[in-house]
Amino acid sequence: MNKVNYFLEEKVMPVAGRIANQKHLQSVRDGLALAMPLLIIGSLFLLISAFPIPGYREFMTGIFGDMWRSKILYPVNVTFDVMSIFASFGIAYRLAEKYSVDPLSAAAISLSSFLLVTPLVIPFTPTEMTETFMVNGIPIKYMGSQGLFVAIIIAIISTEIYRRFIQKDIVIKMPQGVPPAVSMSFAALIPAGFILSLMLVLRIGIEHTSFENIHNIITKLITVPLSLLGGSLGGIIISVFIVGLFWSMGIHGWAVVSAVMSPIWLILRDQNRMIFMADSNAILPNIATDQFFLLWVFLGGAGATLAFTILLTFRAKSKQLKSLGKLSFGSAIFNINEPIIFGSPIVMNPILMLPFIFIPVITALTTYFAMHIGFVEKPCGIAVPWTTPIIISGYLAAGGKISGSIMQIINFIISLALYYPFFRMWDKKKCEEEDIMEEMVS
Amino acid sequence: MNILLCCSAGMSTSLLVQKMKKEAKEMGMDAKIWAVAMSSVQQDIKSADVLLVGPQIRFKLAELKKLGEAYGIPVEMISPTDYGMMNGKKVIEFALRLKKSRC
Repeated sequence: MNKVNYFLEEKVMPVAGRIANQKHLQSVRDGLALAMPLLIIGSLFLLISAFPIPGYREFMTGIFGDMWRSKILYPVNVTFDVMSIFASFGIAYRLAEKYSVDPLSAAAISLSSFLLVTPLVIPFTPTEMTETFMVNGIPIKYMGSQGLFVAIIIAIISTEIYRRFIQKDIVIKMPQGVPPAVSMSFAALIPAGFILSLMLVLRIGIEHTSFENIHNIITKLITVPLSLLGGSLGGIIISVFIVGLFWSMGIHGWAVVSAVMSPIWLILRDQNRMIFMADSNAILPNIATDQFFLLWVFLGGAGATLAFTILLTFRAKSKQLKSLGKLSFGSAIFNINEPIIFGSPIVMNPILMLPFIFIPVITALTTYFAMHIGFVEKPCGIAVPWTTPIIISGYLAAGGKISGSIMQIINFIISLALYYPFFRMWDKKKCEEEDIMEEMVS
Repeated sequence: MNILLCCSAGMSTSLLVQKMKKEAKEMGMDAKIWAVAMSSVQQDIKSADVLLVGPQIRFKLAELKKLGEAYGIPVEMISPTDYGMMNGKKVIEFALRLKKSRC
């Protein structure tokens, strides 16, 4: 076991650290976090528009008229459907912050660049005509999840250029006596001019190819392959395994894995959301969204420790484990389990690491197949905060379908049964330790 | 004394904050104790006297220490054992020791 520990500490840990600490990945994750509260609010309205009660729609139409549904969805249009704008702004802001250069300027330049590489025209077919015209406007289809990778890439490129200009002091200098706020406003001029010119060249260059615009290139070369990879069963199992492995070394596994995967999961989630919005009974394409992991696989937090916490609270004979159970029971309901991970401890504990890593792999498999065969509804894209207790969270995330809750209960029972023997082993060991301690005291 | 804690989302450290506040009250200590997500540390560190980092994000420790140096405050990882048992008392004592060693 020492060899394994050594390998984990010396070889795997630094890699985990490097991924989780990588400036760009970190900025992407923190930048996307800007949109998250808004997506939750958008979800609320999405839920109101598609409340799963028979006769609800007819009832609402009776009161508010035919248009009620598209009106209640207005907030969805300015949250989900423009998430790439938030990404473009937020990622550049966070990255600039890490380089200690003015984040607001970097964010503004990034957004401007993102719009510059996007064709600002919308296809429009007038009623009773077959011909389609291109009219001016910001194409909303590229502002949502479809434009996400373009927003990410452009934000990183533009901010990297921006900070190099600032750090090398290639800026317009103001004579002494000019207030700092004024000279600050001029500081962005040279880098912004350079960046936007570069984006213009990029835009025009791509217009001359068969791709027509950068969105088509990125979709084909990045978004589609990555979503296939991340959405596959293999991708799911690897993600779940790595989260468990890192946490069992005491490293925030989700922070590491989501740093790489969150854009992909977000795109997959949003594809489901758009289909769900059009028809709340449609069969959705994607299983692997962030919600799949947070709400169905990791019940009670990484390692699916809700069951383990309940065993500690109600079945532990060891005083220490019992008090740990009581201490962390409340937070476990809301899927926070650091006390369990560090207190049991699960970290670097061969007896508990095994179930901690592999039980979520099993719950991922059961959930995947249940969703695949249609026994359980797939996550509909409604953003449920990960701190929501199970049963409620499954019901909401499945789009108001009880099968989502049932799946959580099934997974809970599975994890309870599989944790039990390991729990007994550890409890026994702890009891023996406590007995020895008591003897020594007396 | 202002004690800032940080972890990935500021959730589990906020549990510890609760325990520490209770302990501080019993000790008759005048302290502001709060927890933030790691993405907000840059803002909150300005008003902190000491920054304590959750063990699960210890890969951020080096970076946060550098940040702490810039503001002249000590930055350390919370012991995993105290973190697991949510031992407010020990963590407060730890924070006090850190502060003292710096002055």
